[in-house]
Amino acid sequence: MTEASLAQIENDTVATMAGTTWRWWLGLAAAVSMVALGGWAWSTMLRQGLGITGLDEPVMWGALITTFVFFIGVSHSGTLVSAILFFTRSPLRAAIGRSAEAMTVFTILTAGLYPIVHIGRSWLFFYVLPYPNQRQLWMNFRSPLTWDVFAITSYVSVSALFLYMGMLPDLALLARRVRGWRRPLYRVLTLGFAGTDGEWRLFEKAYPIFAGVVIPLAVSVHSVVSWDFAMTLMPGWHSAIFAPYFVAGAIFSGIAVAVLLLSALRRGYRLQRYITAEHFDLLAKLLLAMSLVMTFVYATEFFMAFFRGSEAEAQLFRWRATGTYAPIFWGVVGCNSVAPLALFWSRVRRNLPALIVISALVTVGMWFERFLFIVTTLAHNYVAQNWGNYVPTLRESLICVGGLGWFLMLFLLFVKLFPCMAISESMQSRHAADAAAGAATPEASHA
Amino acid sequence: MPEELVAVYADPDEALRVVLALRDRGVAGAQVSSPAAFPVVHEVEHTGHSRTLGWFALGGGLTGLGCAAALQVVTSRSLGLVVGGKPIVAWTAFGVVMFELTMLFAGATNFLALVLLSALARRRVARAVRDQVSSERIVVVVPLGGLDPQRRAAARGVLGDGLAEALP
Repeated sequence: MTEASLAQIENDTVATMAGTTWRWWLGLAAAVSMVALGGWAWSTMLRQGLGITGLDEPVMWGALITTFVFFIGVSHSGTLVSAILFFTRSPLRAAIGRSAEAMTVFTILTAGLYPIVHIGRSWLFFYVLPYPNQRQLWMNFRSPLTWDVFAITSYVSVSALFLYMGMLPDLALLARRVRGWRRPLYRVLTLGFAGTDGEWRLFEKAYPIFAGVVIPLAVSVHSVVSWDFAMTLMPGWHSAIFAPYFVAGAIFSGIAVAVLLLSALRRGYRLQRYITAEHFDLLAKLLLAMSLVMTFVYATEFFMAFFRGSEAEAQLFRWRATGTYAPIFWGVVGCNSVAPLALFWSRVRRNLPALIVISALVTVGMWFERFLFIVTTLAHNYVAQNWGNYVPTLRESLICVGGLGWFLMLFLLFVKLFPCMAISESMQSRHAADAAAGAATPEASHA
Repeated sequence: MPEELVAVYADPDEALRVVLALRDRGVAGAQVSSPAAFPVVHEVEHTGHSRTLGWFALGGGLTGLGCAAALQVVTSRSLGLVVGGKPIVAWTAFGVVMFELTMLFAGATNFLALVLLSALARRRVARAVRDQVSSERIVVVVPLGGLDPQRRAAARGVLGDGLAEALP
């Protein structure tokens, strides 16, 4: 595939927004159907209460909270990886940064729905917000659940601003190029950005500062979510390793979902010229590295459970591997620790269908991993008389599927409305690559 | 309206050569508008406020920190919370919200500062000139005010064919 000229980069990106293919409509129809199913299931829950779920003593956190943790995890890697790629000046960023940042914003918006759904009386969710009220109730700032509210709100705000800030130069280009209703929309959204040297100078100062803010915030948000569990004294949860374990798991699942989304974009919009086999190779290496980290964390958890002498903890971990949920446990090990090992072979890394299958396995595996550690701890806690099992009901599962549809719908609408690749940054990378190639040739050196 | 020369180039390297040649001939004050941050935009002189962005972000972050501390300390003290003998003002626990709001305010202030300072920065370039920028149009503007006839002629010579590309 030949390299794209500067104008062609813009043309190809605009083409992704202008042309509506049958694949896009099919994807949107599937996503909307999933949202409709999930919405129906949630409406029955609003009318009939939490009784329609499988939640019961002792397992009061189930599939809904699992989906919340899973989506928070997926959200983690988009902005984080994009910011890290920015600082490392990686060629990956121009191709995948925008989609990854959009993925972050939409997954965290999806994740935020689940605690609201889970509380049952969703219309009272505003009780967790700090504002003067007449109920004589106030939120407890010592609670990780309150930290969650602040962490997630901050993260979604900053991630959305990060995405938007990065799009300003592209929106300025598009505002001059497109016609019809898009033109006034982009004109407003550019906030006046025109590409003057003074603006670029400011932009190049502001963006690294923002990226520097995003990275610790991204790490903190998943750490805070891990503390929802780790701050309790429950066996299997009360562990100092939980925050880094969650952060690693989040990056792992986020990369897997990013591979799936990027491969769909690449195929759907014929972006092979921009999202290349080398990019997937790098993502595959990252996926493999995170898989090894996760395997190490799983092993450490087991080692510590048996080494530290807590009978309840040891029994819980033994039960995870051999009890009611053992098929899920071994499935998780297979998906997250064994399947990615195939990525040691460069032929597998460069085989996109194989990489897609592995990423899908990791995505499913990570959802079940979250499910496993949430449910088994509650089901097999300190009090043997209080042990029980949990199986999500169909309607509960549909609410989870609805969340997936909601995320996909938002993402599909995004790629139709906004450039899914960073036009300006791609042009800059292209020019820098050309300059480097020119400098490398003897003729250019002579000149 | 100030007297100026406007030239347009498709190639970022050509625009860079022009800007460097203008500088060599003693023609100062050239401005560049570009679709991307090509090297040419770094070669022109700047009188902007780019250094102040960091101070804005720092100020915003400290404001967030203060707001978070005040929110937690003041409300915890005034609402008579039942804390079971634990400290009412628990800095360890409050640290999380303080961190989150510090980062949120720093990021938001940085963005706001970018928007405001950019609005000031682009006033130096006329709107009609800014609107000429596209993926294949890098605009170089040379203000002629204060230039002697010799330098004006030199500027015209350096800008060359790019002058003809500019829209009227």
